[in-house]
Amino acid sequence: MNRDLTKVRNIGISAHIDSGKTTLTERILYYTNRIHAIHEVRGKDGVGAKMDSMELEKERGITIQSAATHCSWKDLDINIIDTPGHVDFTVEVERALRVLDGAILVLCSVGGVQSQSITVNRQMTRYNVPRIAFINKCDRTGANPERVTLQLREKLALNAHLLQLPIGLENDLIGMVDLVIMKAIYFDGDSGEKLRIEEIPAGMIDAALEKREALLDEVSMFSEELMEAILDGGEIDTALVYDAIRKGTTKLEFTPVFVGSAYKNKGIQLLLDAVEAYLPCPMDVANFALDLKNNEAEFQVTNDPKDPLIMLAFKLEDGRYGQLTYVRTYQGHLKKGDTVYNSRTGKKVKIGRLVRMHSDEMEEIEECGSGDIVALFGVDCASGDTFTTDEISCSMSSMHIPEPVISLAVIPVDNKAQINMSKALNRFTKEDPTFKTFVDHETGETIISGMGELHLEVYIERMKREYNAEVEVGAPQVAYRETISNRADFNYTHKKQTGGSGQFGRVGGYIEPLEEGDYEFVDSIVGGVIPREYIPSCDKGFQKSLVKGSLCGAKITGVRCVINDGAFHAVDSSDIAFQLAAIGAFKEGYMKAKPVIMEPIMKVAVEGPSEFQGSIMGSINQRRGMIIGTMEEGNYTVVEAEVPLSEMFGYSTTLRSLTQGKAEFTMEFASFKPVPKSVSEELVKKFQEEKKNG
Amino acid sequence: MADNGVVVNNPIRALGLDNKAGEGLQSMGLVIARAGLGKTAILVQFALDCMLLGNKVLHVSIGQSVDKTRKWYDDILSLLTDGEKIETIPEILQNRMIMTFKETSFNKVKLEERLDDLVKQNIYKPECLIIDGYDFENNDYASMEELRGFMADHGLKMIWFSAVSHREDTRISANGVPAPCHEVDDLFDIVLLIKPEGEAMKLDILKCDDCAVHPGTTLQLDPATMLIQKG
Repeated sequence: MNRDLTKVRNIGISAHIDSGKTTLTERILYYTNRIHAIHEVRGKDGVGAKMDSMELEKERGITIQSAATHCSWKDLDINIIDTPGHVDFTVEVERALRVLDGAILVLCSVGGVQSQSITVNRQMTRYNVPRIAFINKCDRTGANPERVTLQLREKLALNAHLLQLPIGLENDLIGMVDLVIMKAIYFDGDSGEKLRIEEIPAGMIDAALEKREALLDEVSMFSEELMEAILDGGEIDTALVYDAIRKGTTKLEFTPVFVGSAYKNKGIQLLLDAVEAYLPCPMDVANFALDLKNNEAEFQVTNDPKDPLIMLAFKLEDGRYGQLTYVRTYQGHLKKGDTVYNSRTGKKVKIGRLVRMHSDEMEEIEECGSGDIVALFGVDCASGDTFTTDEISCSMSSMHIPEPVISLAVIPVDNKAQINMSKALNRFTKEDPTFKTFVDHETGETIISGMGELHLEVYIERMKREYNAEVEVGAPQVAYRETISNRADFNYTHKKQTGGSGQFGRVGGYIEPLEEGDYEFVDSIVGGVIPREYIPSCDKGFQKSLVKGSLCGAKITGVRCVINDGAFHAVDSSDIAFQLAAIGAFKEGYMKAKPVIMEPIMKVAVEGPSEFQGSIMGSINQRRGMIIGTMEEGNYTVVEAEVPLSEMFGYSTTLRSLTQGKAEFTMEFASFKPVPKSVSEELVKKFQEEKKNG
Repeated sequence: MADNGVVVNNPIRALGLDNKAGEGLQSMGLVIARAGLGKTAILVQFALDCMLLGNKVLHVSIGQSVDKTRKWYDDILSLLTDGEKIETIPEILQNRMIMTFKETSFNKVKLEERLDDLVKQNIYKPECLIIDGYDFENNDYASMEELRGFMADHGLKMIWFSAVSHREDTRISANGVPAPCHEVDDLFDIVLLIKPEGEAMKLDILKCDDCAVHPGTTLQLDPATMLIQKG
């Protein structure tokens, strides 16, 4: 399959809520002939915009489900992917962002850089995604693209420069001056589809020349040829300017800024041209895979369609015809009917149907190649799985999935809800490996656990809305852990030899802290003091003991159980007798091994105006937080800290009132650490009381 | 305080500076070298020594990120402990706070403001201050004097600075302190110069008013780890 990858762009469109992202996408689809009529987000026709996402997303102002669509602009293939923004969806964010090669950061010309703009920009920086900025809504009262560009520099620390000047603003917006080609561009026709290129209006020539000079000065840093051309003082070749801007943008050292109004159909075609001119193609981006045969050593994928296939499933969707899996191909190519391997499960999968997605519609295709984003039908896999041919064994994402840190009980209101809830949970756990569910055998309640309050709230809402599963929800609980801090010996005999068939088993050995991993069983039995057939019974007994610790009822982790002694009875020993002996032995050793309760510690970053730094640090300190550092960026400060999750409930409200709503925070799981003595005592007391009350 | 082994084995002991703070002395030190020779590694060794003795350190990093600075500590601590798990490390790390500033925005007033935020709320009161990346070329004698005053005002036991020297700038003070610090060397109690010599890296003690070793002494640095070698 020979395809010119320089004509492919995989991009994301990110923005703060109400910056006009959906309207912009609607116009992009219209101008690229994917749709034949424009429908507004809250239009009178009631149709709604094509890419209008879940109701829940609109309410909360976050992207929960990534959507992918494909369009063609001139001879360019563009795959557009929506990315979830919140760190609670950490695995999804990572996988969605890594399939992007570039992004458009949309900003409102009045609102400027807002809290979610800061968050998405931070994520793009973290994942090295080159971006162009689009200042939308220049037709609104109070529009000020110059101010927004300044904010891009000051608040987001981007080397942002306007590449266009608006001709008129607010109600008078009629077009823009392109500072690269030095022409004025107007948008005629009912939907602005006809571009009219004219000379720059006389009143704007001086401003345009001044801005262009500053722009050339800046971008000449990325191109020696351009710098020489400027020094020569002659006519400057436009291609040199494009090239310099592209170099700066792909190196993440320059952010071109465009202006317009999606709603008034102004500037979108120029933005699409900019996607081609300045954002990288798949060949420009270095992507890495992990070699599973070589201790997950990283290697760079080739992008070559002739090489063995490497393809990442980054998104699952429950479609009308079964599971739809969005994939990005990093090298090699795939044809309908090919057989591929899922590197996680090792299973062979035959690709029956291959489709290109356009929001909720699809187009059957015969093959796809390196750099493509397509969807597979009827393939059973999980989000984050890598598909390869049998020649290689690699993974595009680490197999490490962070442990959930927060859990809550969900109780279905009736039988119907119970059935629907099971369907929903089955679906969600497949889509999101950080979302887990289990039944607490003592209470009979279904427990869901995940990476944060919002993470679980979103799934509960989705259960209700998408699966009609009405559930009652318990209070969020922090997922504590128990572990041991010392080595301790045990020697326990389980004996029940009165009446009927007896039970006998003795287990001797020790438990000790295990630095890496949850549990390890070591069989050091010599001389057959415990017969071979009962060794697995001991292992099973120990594992059963780990489910619930005796301090606060949390799961026990980080324990090595070693057996080196024991005894058996020719008649009364059995599998169950040795399981019970191991449980007794563990109980005996556990309290001697100085058990401790561990709590999830979150890495918290609070960002706000420097004037509130003192209040922010005070609020973290009050929450048992340890401030790691502070970072001053312009008038903004980022405070980084590690704070126990249990102290973070309701922090957003506190932070809002402390900083007049001007600060925002993000948090992600960092590690488990022992709780202070006072907290431990409280948790133990609470657990004892719960046990007493049944 | 950390396991004794870590404190005693800390190579910074080779300078014999540890008794000074205990005697209530305040000192201002400088590590100077050309770019990329490992100034931060030396500063972090001083900071860790301070932390291991139970003192609180404020590490001001100018022009570097919190993560990058933190990584220096992780690396040096891992070298000092030979990669072994030391139980008290989480406690030791509570003795460190990192503040980063942009090159253009750092000054004494701003530092004082930030420090007040911490001290007045009883969040953190540092005893040692590290200032890595201070712009000596664009700050004058008076600014340095202010920072010396800052040490006294805030009861700091020590402040350590790093400075970048340039091969082409041959100006030098009577003590042998190269530019850009040649005119402010009298404000420092200790001045150390990192000097590459062939494959080896050396640490020249240009000035040290209260050290166990005398000015003119040269200590060896392990070029791979930048740890000060004992003996």
